[in-house]
Amino acid sequence: MSFVSPGSAIDQEAQLPPERELEADAAAKVVGRSPTRLAMARFRRDKLSMVSFTIVVIYVVGAILAPFLVKFGVLDPYGPHQSLLDPALGGIPKSHWGISLHHPLGVEPGAGRDVLSRLWYGITFSLMIAISATLVAMVVGTVLGIIAGFSRGVVDTLISRLVDLTLSFPQTLMLLALSSTGVALFAKALPGNQAAALPNAVYVILVLGLFGWPGMARLIRGQVLTIREREFIDAARVLGASNGRIYFKEILPNLWAPVLVQFTLVMPLYISAEAALSFLGVGIPPPTPTLGNVLTDSINYSTGDFFFFLFPALLIAIVVLSFNLLGDGLRDALDPKGDR
Amino acid sequence: MASNRKKAFAAVAALASASVVLAGCGGGSGSSGSNGNSNTTAKATKGGTLTYYIRDALEHTDPQRVYLGRELTNLDRTVYRRLVSFPASTDTTKATTPVADLATDTGHSSQGGKVWKFTVKSGVKWQDGKPITCEDFKYGASRVFATDVITGGPNYLLSYLDIPLGSDGLPTYKGPYTTKNNDVASFNKAITCQGQTITYHFKQPWPDFPLAVASLGMMDPYRKDKDQGDKSNFQIFSNGPYMVQGKLDHNRGYTLVRNPNYDPKTDNPEIREANPDKIVYDIGKTGEQIADQLIADNGAAQTAVTDRSIPPAYYTQITGSVADRAVNVQSPFTDYLVLNFARVKNLAVRQALAAATNDQGWIDAGGGSKSYDPADSIVSPTVKGYQSNPAFKRPSSGDVDAAKQILQKAGVKTPINLSFTYPSTPTADKQAAVLKDTWKQAGFNVTLDGVANSSTYYTNIQQPDQKADIIWAGWGADWPSAITVTAPLFDSRPNLRKNTNGQDYGRYQSDAFNKFITQAQTASSLDAQTKALQQADIQLGKDVAYIPLEIQKFYLLRGSKVTGYMTDAASSMYPDLGPIGVQ
Repeated sequence: MSFVSPGSAIDQEAQLPPERELEADAAAKVVGRSPTRLAMARFRRDKLSMVSFTIVVIYVVGAILAPFLVKFGVLDPYGPHQSLLDPALGGIPKSHWGISLHHPLGVEPGAGRDVLSRLWYGITFSLMIAISATLVAMVVGTVLGIIAGFSRGVVDTLISRLVDLTLSFPQTLMLLALSSTGVALFAKALPGNQAAALPNAVYVILVLGLFGWPGMARLIRGQVLTIREREFIDAARVLGASNGRIYFKEILPNLWAPVLVQFTLVMPLYISAEAALSFLGVGIPPPTPTLGNVLTDSINYSTGDFFFFLFPALLIAIVVLSFNLLGDGLRDALDPKGDR
Repeated sequence: MASNRKKAFAAVAALASASVVLAGCGGGSGSSGSNGNSNTTAKATKGGTLTYYIRDALEHTDPQRVYLGRELTNLDRTVYRRLVSFPASTDTTKATTPVADLATDTGHSSQGGKVWKFTVKSGVKWQDGKPITCEDFKYGASRVFATDVITGGPNYLLSYLDIPLGSDGLPTYKGPYTTKNNDVASFNKAITCQGQTITYHFKQPWPDFPLAVASLGMMDPYRKDKDQGDKSNFQIFSNGPYMVQGKLDHNRGYTLVRNPNYDPKTDNPEIREANPDKIVYDIGKTGEQIADQLIADNGAAQTAVTDRSIPPAYYTQITGSVADRAVNVQSPFTDYLVLNFARVKNLAVRQALAAATNDQGWIDAGGGSKSYDPADSIVSPTVKGYQSNPAFKRPSSGDVDAAKQILQKAGVKTPINLSFTYPSTPTADKQAAVLKDTWKQAGFNVTLDGVANSSTYYTNIQQPDQKADIIWAGWGADWPSAITVTAPLFDSRPNLRKNTNGQDYGRYQSDAFNKFITQAQTASSLDAQTKALQQADIQLGKDVAYIPLEIQKFYLLRGSKVTGYMTDAASSMYPDLGPIGVQ
């Protein structure tokens, strides 16, 4: 290994010319470009990433719009339309799954609620839960990862063993076993109506988040191990910066790339985890629509008619795939040297 | 929808339910061989293993504490013989007329039904070979009085047996576990043993006492040396054709094998034929899983029965040969909502909620006419004393305008925040969502609180400080008289205690209602009793103590190798284990 000049990996990228095509258009006049702009340019050239990014944006915008659409009556995820159902057949829609102008994706069997409304509004709840859980995991993981990576010695050992311990816990089992006590605990602690979906949501978010941080902590610790040997850390030290300042003002800004990548990779996991938990009966209780609830509900009818299962499953598959591809694309763009 | 709390049976409307039986099972092609196309299949043969799929964990297996309809009949047919039992029969009159079981005959009454005498058969034995004595019966009855230990079971003995009441409104006799301030002398006078003849002395006439004995386990014998109080809750010391093999796990199930000390000569084959060599109770599958297995009909499921109705999502799969294995019958259980009187104190609010209740939507979301018949009173039409309650028009899709008017007239501000608790299943969640819709239109903001763990559902709603405003419950008459419906459900006097609501989940207290119940209990004639009970029901309607939802129908599937299958009035329309067998 030869000597490398100081500076981050992305800075080196800007100085070295390995990517010919990228430099081609800039060949005429040499313009200085920030690492962020370079990463964005790389990301934009990746078609798959752009497609998944567009889909993710559509999902997020849809999720933000849904509560307003529900409020103004455009979407009606709760109102039953039992006249469209055939009670003699156990409440299966009378014809063509109940599809009409008013119900483009049909109505669900049993109560006859509009499938499109439930799915659309379900995306809001599912994304809210997934984003919240991911944030919990990211914050806890990043803070503990920085502390572990920077501290060395006893603190590092303690946190690293805590990571091992948490990873070795059978978390799905814990989630199921502790659900009734956990939810009851939050129901007591939270204000307002006890029977609301809120305690369940808080439980799912906290448990997913608190079991999800170790992966993040490990990743961050590894990054910090390389950063802490840099001169600018030493400089901060010499100038008398406190540990807190070094953690959050000096180290953290150098970590946004791995945090962002990890965020987009962990979030789809939590979207499918929410669906799985709904199926196991510890998710958000009905009638609140989440993608998991709508999917779980359709499963019983799917042996009779696969159609009911189709759209919920498709929507979950698309959002999970898009987030995963987006995460991969971001990683490639932000850290082109990372091996795949 | 959920577990049926209480024993019940259908008697008077025999014809109605019998015709449903035939209608529900018609159209069989006979392709399933001897299983035919009706409720009663071909005569069973001896041997084999029967599997019984149950969803929820068991609450009790102690004879004095059992109160679930399914358990009462299952235990009677397998391990706990009674003085008198009901014979298995599709003829409802026959199936609800007790015949001698452990007693030599169906009992003799004197003093107008105030004194009842039974003689225990000779040659009847416990599973360890010791004879069943009159003292065992007396000891069993004494346990009912230990209301702090033996909880959950029927408490008729407390108000009927001739023992004076103390200042707390409970009998002065406190059961076999305590000696302090215990009025043992009164109990010894109320139940006496002369040789093998047991005599019960009651305060008031109890003309249908044999029906109570055959329906419930409270008069079952119990061996004093096997009694560990509350620890005996999940023990079974058998005197019937089967006994427990290994350990009984109330969450997972248990296995019954033949009891070597059971002598079929002392028994009546009309009560129990005891055909299978082994009976396996398989607990813990959901209703959907049970339906999947029985439809697939592989392995153990071929010789399996269940108490769980087919979920509506599976109705389209019940065709052809699968339909030949299904019965659809009206059950003795009525589902209803109670309002929590400790929280919903305003009569107008209760009336408006009742008016806005969309019971037709509830029925349709729950599977329609295969799942439910409409109910206009908590008393089932099959029970003596039934009359449609004028407070409830059925079927109703929820009269939102009427509800709004009631609220407006009373000057109640909307929205009113309420919570609704019910045992959660995929079907029930939808039914609740349908109710919520019309309630919401009428101005009620109802939070649905579906309880996933249904085995503790009733224990939870019996807590005096529970927070639900609207509570789902189900009930069937203990014997075909309205006195076993409205009295145990709404009489605050025996129900409301410091640590429990009893069966009065909504903490309903009304002196007017209690007076009608007292009138009924002490009535000189059956007509007078019926009249008092009907007035009591009208009072409940006026106060909106309950909102009737529907009468459950059972839509039960069985494996293709089950023989002698019958769901009859003797078994509360659950599969009767008396005549059943497997190929």
